[in-house]
Amino acid sequence: MSQIPTKAKRGRRAARGFFEKTLGHLTETLEHTLFAEEIARQDGMLQSLDPRAKLLGALALLIAISLSHSLLVIAALYILTLPLAAASRVPMGYYIKRVWVFMPFFTGIIALPALFSPFTPGEPLLTLIDLTSPRVYLAITVPGVVTAAFLLLRVGSSVSVAVLLMLTTRWVTLLKALRTLRLPQAFVLILGITYRYIYVLLHAANNMFIARRSRVMRRMSGAENRRWLAASIGTLFTKSYALSDDVYLAMQSRGFRGDSHVMGNLEWRRADWLWLTGSLVIATAALWVGR
Amino acid sequence: MKIDTEKSTVIFEAERVSFAYNNHQVALQDASLTVRAGERLAILGTNGCGKSTLLKILDGLYFPTSGTLRAFGEPMTEEVLLDGARAYAFRRRVGLVFQDPDVQLFSPTVWDEVTFAPLHLGLPHPEVIERAEWAMSLLDIQKLRDRVPHRLSGGEKKKVALASVLSLRPEVWLLDEPTASLDPRSQSRLLDFIWELEREGNTVITATNDLAILEEVADRVIIFSEDHQIVGEGSPQEVLSNYELLAKCNLIHEHRHKHGEIEHEHPHAHRYTHEHKHEK
Amino acid sequence: MHIPDGYLSPATAAAMYTVSLPVWYLASRKMTTRLTGRSVPLIGLFAALSFVIMMFNVPLPGGTTGHAVGSVLAAIVLGPWAASLAITVALIIQAFFFGDGGILAIGANAFNMAIAMPFVGFYLYRWLSGGAVTPSRRAIAAAVAGYLAINVGALLTAIELGIQPMLFHDAAGHALYFPYGLGMAIPAMLLGHLAVAGPVEALVTGLVVSWMQRTNPQLFETAGGVTQGATGLSRWAWTGLLSLIALTPFGLLAPGTAWGEWSREGLQQLGLGYIPEGFDQWSNLWSAPFSGYDIPALNNSTVGYLLSALAGVVLILGVIFALTWFIGRLRHRREDGRTG
Repeated sequence: MSQIPTKAKRGRRAARGFFEKTLGHLTETLEHTLFAEEIARQDGMLQSLDPRAKLLGALALLIAISLSHSLLVIAALYILTLPLAAASRVPMGYYIKRVWVFMPFFTGIIALPALFSPFTPGEPLLTLIDLTSPRVYLAITVPGVVTAAFLLLRVGSSVSVAVLLMLTTRWVTLLKALRTLRLPQAFVLILGITYRYIYVLLHAANNMFIARRSRVMRRMSGAENRRWLAASIGTLFTKSYALSDDVYLAMQSRGFRGDSHVMGNLEWRRADWLWLTGSLVIATAALWVGR
Repeated sequence: MKIDTEKSTVIFEAERVSFAYNNHQVALQDASLTVRAGERLAILGTNGCGKSTLLKILDGLYFPTSGTLRAFGEPMTEEVLLDGARAYAFRRRVGLVFQDPDVQLFSPTVWDEVTFAPLHLGLPHPEVIERAEWAMSLLDIQKLRDRVPHRLSGGEKKKVALASVLSLRPEVWLLDEPTASLDPRSQSRLLDFIWELEREGNTVITATNDLAILEEVADRVIIFSEDHQIVGEGSPQEVLSNYELLAKCNLIHEHRHKHGEIEHEHPHAHRYTHEHKHEK
Repeated sequence: MHIPDGYLSPATAAAMYTVSLPVWYLASRKMTTRLTGRSVPLIGLFAALSFVIMMFNVPLPGGTTGHAVGSVLAAIVLGPWAASLAITVALIIQAFFFGDGGILAIGANAFNMAIAMPFVGFYLYRWLSGGAVTPSRRAIAAAVAGYLAINVGALLTAIELGIQPMLFHDAAGHALYFPYGLGMAIPAMLLGHLAVAGPVEALVTGLVVSWMQRTNPQLFETAGGVTQGATGLSRWAWTGLLSLIALTPFGLLAPGTAWGEWSREGLQQLGLGYIPEGFDQWSNLWSAPFSGYDIPALNNSTVGYLLSALAGVVLILGVIFALTWFIGRLRHRREDGRTG
């Protein structure tokens, strides 16, 4: 008897859930791009570096984090990023929260079972259940804790490095860096255009969701919602298809013929050498210690 | 400043030009027109009448499905514009400002946007920089240099779009609905800008459905009907007084409204200055 | 399906880059040589669309939600090469700007979502839609292709993750990266994708394709060249076979196969000294035990595990590529037969 109402309730919650979740996602992403742009514009330590130096240095750190066989070394590498973030005017609270509260939510759930004996057998750290008949045994094991710690620490530190790179580098300069690092022109050009379209599409999608929220009074069924979603993706597509057509014409009108030209005004200074050498030395040292 | 000898130079010569999207969706039907150097021409018509398509054909972006088009005395065909040198020569002389600046602003920064055209048309870097600086100072957007174009306000976007064509220094300007969705102040600034272009002897072709700006941007007006054909031509004054033609092309409509006690009817154009007297 | 940094060993990440690089190279060469610049904004558009689609939570019957990738949708309109570029670009932007998926893991993520998915999806779609006269058939073909392709992507992801604990652990046997073996990773990934993400991808791909046919029919005319396919029967037989491939891991995990060491008895042989509660139910469910015990490295069977895992990977990849190639060939022959 209780089956039916529960089911209906669940369906309703899911219907609202998908809507609010998506709208939340869209708004958050839009705000995030604005926020990142704002920090990247500040006059901080990492902001002043050449994007190529920053990119290569970040890669060296990522590889070191990834290769290290020692939890302490990974933790040390992470702690090193904290003063860097502070010197680059990245709000500390945001920096730490973004990584350790939001990001590994997924990883946390994945790492959790690894703590326990059925998944990672070994010396018990804390025995939870130990019955002889029937044979039931559950413990948090030492290797389990080590395994979970490796995963969480590695993911968290890697994401931190990526977040730091992203928050302190303007998209434009990163594109320039990629170009001078010999990526195919077509690729970099597509990257640039995509970023621009993402912004247009995010805005359009956000508006569609907000418009629907203000218009629709009653709850809609799952099927109605799915149809609406398909139509919105379709509308987004049609709008942007026409837009992309015109954008191409506008590019052509101003001389674009399939290859792109840029004026390289990136400047490699002494600070960049210092940073690159520094991060390479730290990465190598980390690998040596954490062998 | 218009010189008479220049006026005689033919820039565009279209003969029964038709165009259809995907070979079946007609957008332009048998358009014939001649544009001379230094001319101020307006193409008038409602949305979707084919005036944007005509501008794109004049800019060598679309090619007529039938009929012929000559630009600067040369036939305009796909083959000509596939040839790098000839394409560059043409594109350096003609600039198109799109109606929607969002379409035109695709670069990551305003600076990239303004340097795009001269850079891609093969000018040496120092000249590219010089032209970009000049265009930005003329439109007073130097302080936007490092901004992301698509995050600017509507008026700023329009300025950047204009600067991005201005840095090319084209002698022929094609403007698609230049005043659309601009606030009154930006609109009047834009009209000043167009006037300045014309004063310097550029050829300016403006596509619009805004009757209010006709006299300011054109000496000659071509009218498009809703079935994509040219149905009339004349001076702005002649066109504006031809109610029948304007109504036929759906540019004005009978308007019934009340002023206090008096109810009356008169032709009405949206956005057209609303002036009339009441007989008591 | 986005693998973050830290889940894969650098060796795996590097290997996946070396697999993906030639595809990217070929794809961008095709863009610059064969096609005109027109494709640049279109690819950008699809990259952006895929980026936004990944944010759309789609409600599923039963109360859960999931999101689609849009790879197959892109492949249907752009062709697989351009779709590869588009989805790769979306993944790069996600990794760099939103921390979704790792930077070192871009090679792996691109291989799963930007290479395997569009290619598998594209050829499946073409071949299922065949002469594709009726819009509904196109939509259904697109949905089926979307469903299977995302599961192939999920399977590849699971394999990449599942081989980590066998290959990479410290001297004490602690897993250094993703801690669960294939026996755990594959069912977990596939269950989620067969049941949730797959239907979402199918819904989005199918519905948007049917929507686009009504509003932008020229897309399908120009993307055309969809040739008369094989007879319906053999086509659906192929589909069955591909579904089987998507389900292969379940077969591989069944006791008595080469991977039978993971059976109930195997657990005891490994000397774990206990059988987890509920194990029997689980093993009945998909004939696979709880895994994770492939972690004890100092076990003699490590080499065996490693070899069978590699063999499995090679086998599945081989079958997928052979199929794609074969379908492509069939199509070519048919085209040749038509023109000649």
